[in-house]
Amino acid sequence: MIRREFVAAFAGGSAAAVLAGAVDAQQGSQARSNVMGPMEQGAYRPVRLPAKSSSAPTLTRDERDQVEYRLGCQCGCSLSVYICRTTDFSCQVSPAMHRDVIAMADGGASADEIIAAFRNVYGDKVLLAPPRQGFNWLAYILPFAVMAAGLVLVTTVVRRLRTAPVAGIPPDAQADATPDELARLQSAIRDESR
Amino acid sequence: MILIGELALWIALLMAAWSAITSFAGGRTRRLDLVMSGERGVYATWLLIVAASAGLWTALLTHDFSFRYVAAHTSANLPAIYTFTSFWGGQAGSLLFWALVLSSYAAVALFANRNRNRELMPYVSGTLATVILFFLATMCFGANPYERLDWVPPDGSGMNPQLQNPGMAIHPPNLYLGYVATTIPFAFAIAALITRRLDEQWLAAVRRWSLVSWFFLTVGITLGMWWAYVELGWSGYWAWDPVENASLLPWLTTTAFLHSIMVQEKRGMLRKWNVTLVVSSFLLAILGTFITRSGVISSVHSFSQSPIGSWFAGFLGVALVITGYLVATRLKDLKARAELESVISREAAFLYNNVALVGIAFSVLWGTLFPILSEWVRGTKITVGPPFFNTVNVPLGLFLLALTGIGPLIAWRRASPQNLARQFTWPLASGLTVAIVLWVLGMREGYALIAYALAGFVSGTIVQEFAKGIGARRSMHGESAGMAFVHLIARNRRRYGGYIVHVGIVVLFVGFAGLAFKKDYDVRLKAGETFTQRDPYGHQWAFTAQGVSRFETLNRKVTAVALQTTRDGERIGLISSEKRQHVDSRGVATFEPSTEVGIRTSLRQDTYVVLAGISEDESAELRISFNPLVVWVWIGGGIMAIGGMIVMWPAAERRRREAVYGAMLPPARTVEIAAR
Repeated sequence: MIRREFVAAFAGGSAAAVLAGAVDAQQGSQARSNVMGPMEQGAYRPVRLPAKSSSAPTLTRDERDQVEYRLGCQCGCSLSVYICRTTDFSCQVSPAMHRDVIAMADGGASADEIIAAFRNVYGDKVLLAPPRQGFNWLAYILPFAVMAAGLVLVTTVVRRLRTAPVAGIPPDAQADATPDELARLQSAIRDESR
Repeated sequence: MILIGELALWIALLMAAWSAITSFAGGRTRRLDLVMSGERGVYATWLLIVAASAGLWTALLTHDFSFRYVAAHTSANLPAIYTFTSFWGGQAGSLLFWALVLSSYAAVALFANRNRNRELMPYVSGTLATVILFFLATMCFGANPYERLDWVPPDGSGMNPQLQNPGMAIHPPNLYLGYVATTIPFAFAIAALITRRLDEQWLAAVRRWSLVSWFFLTVGITLGMWWAYVELGWSGYWAWDPVENASLLPWLTTTAFLHSIMVQEKRGMLRKWNVTLVVSSFLLAILGTFITRSGVISSVHSFSQSPIGSWFAGFLGVALVITGYLVATRLKDLKARAELESVISREAAFLYNNVALVGIAFSVLWGTLFPILSEWVRGTKITVGPPFFNTVNVPLGLFLLALTGIGPLIAWRRASPQNLARQFTWPLASGLTVAIVLWVLGMREGYALIAYALAGFVSGTIVQEFAKGIGARRSMHGESAGMAFVHLIARNRRRYGGYIVHVGIVVLFVGFAGLAFKKDYDVRLKAGETFTQRDPYGHQWAFTAQGVSRFETLNRKVTAVALQTTRDGERIGLISSEKRQHVDSRGVATFEPSTEVGIRTSLRQDTYVVLAGISEDESAELRISFNPLVVWVWIGGGIMAIGGMIVMWPAAERRRREAVYGAMLPPARTVEIAAR
């Protein structure tokens, strides 16, 4: 093994060890943060808003359901409140969150106000899409930025290649075959095919 | 048999280590005896893993609960078919299944290349043996399927009820077959990089394996969507769950490779890119396994979490560094042999297609890992779910759909304006017609309208391509349209099989776009009460509850509700949904209750009924959904699989020879020869 290969192998091993350590740490933190475990029925926390003076519901049933599609059930199922409460009758968290949504909607709260009230109580993790602010913008922008950069890069490379000859390619690699060579090749194919 | 299997697992570990060492040493020192010993070692490892697998299957089917794996994943009253499939239902068993598939693939690949690619094969067998060694070591020291319990329980815990479904019996093996097949192209890529033999020879050896991987991933993902739809009860088939995303990533990069390989074969370009894609597909398959099993990211599908995540992370890190080093030090050998002549050419279209596919893969990976990044950077837990993925990926997916139609319309090398006008006229007219008709009919959902218009455009492209080919055959050979169609595909399976795959993609997008018109209703019905509602097509449906029934069968206690259903007054029949409480052989409840969905399927829509619960007054809490065009998702997946099989089907010997000779010629002359 030459020195350069040894250094590369050592670097690879070290990186792997660091990565494995990081994963172990992450698994540990996951285990600690998941002390409630999956289907944790004690994860529910009441979310309330004072009823508005007019107190007339401003949301239709469909709009209320759409709010529940944006909120994640906190029982650990990773489904939305709407899907969980209409699928899993053993879950007590999503029906309770549903009752809070109804109460706030009946009190005249808008969809954004209901979402904000849930964020205040549970934090950002209650939303199934990160709120579009601060660091989270990176999540939304980067995929499109990478795609755009890729397209620009490809176009630039293509344009550059059109004007510059490829270095290091022997001249005969681009040469066409002569008619005589083609005839011999076709004859060879026919012979092989018999 | 069980004892033999247990021993075989450990001997396989040693054999794989021997094979890896001798293969690499043989390749390095050019000693034929070491090379042959390494290859025989792979065959021996395969036989030993077959024996180890037979041992575990024996333990499962004889209900030997002294083994932790058997006790944890089966019970005495589990139906025999699910006892058999429990082999891959848990962590340790699925690792053994992975090793079984990998060693089988490795044996086939070595046998197929016993007289070919001999300069590469020592490193191919060495790489394959190393990967097999990793899986065997993970099993032996991290998750051993033969681990015994200190005492023998009277019965096992049983299988998760959601896994007791025909779709789940065949979906994981298909995904494994797809994931594992990425290892063979990876091994050839590593061998080509080590030996610096980076011409088109190694690509020819890996193309079919990439197709195998793509085919099984396609089938596995489609089956997984179907299973989620009929079994999980949330009325959808794709939730952008980390495990689902993990299966999509290698599919996307393999699809990109299957397109860009054509550019390298025809023009000698994209050589660095192709190596990167092959390596990425394998690494993403390993990353997906790591995500599934480590518990780093919580997932509704992670049935088998354990601490072996660090094993996978370590392996991933080492593989990443080694391949990164090899690619970085071989960049000079990966220089293109030709240059792109125009931005408007088939080659450039393939490049843009690759950017789209890899861009989508990046966005899926980015969204999947973003919660971890957010926690590291800000210390804040966030959730990245379907609303985020749909926001980001729907536009990217539509861009890809557009490219599916654009690519085949552009000529190789350079397209002239006249050529473009001639090629695009009918497909564009087709897409615009679809858009206008749907707009006039009242469709206003933006993304759905764009998706259907693009589907019309891509369909126009495909029909035009087939029409031209059939017309040419009819005029040249005087064939009927039907025979010309059959011969067209048979004579150029790769091109026209690819178009059939594109048909599948179009059908798939038609099904996806149908979700925009989905309607859900949650209702509560007592026996005899009726719920009426109009579906998205305007038909009036009525659902009358027939009351709650409770009964016991096989390994479960069932609570069921049936709905007598009519559409526009015409009787459709009963749709029933169940809640199932699974029990062991002593009648003790195992697992949480599960849902059995009632579905009435038609080509236009599914009527989907879920029993969410029973109230104290015996009224049924139900969710009733109208899901338009869902069946087209399964049909689209099936068409893609058929197209993949057509592409994979071996060519006749004569045409293979022609292809080999054709590849020896420069591109322009190749076309000339083919035309003669």
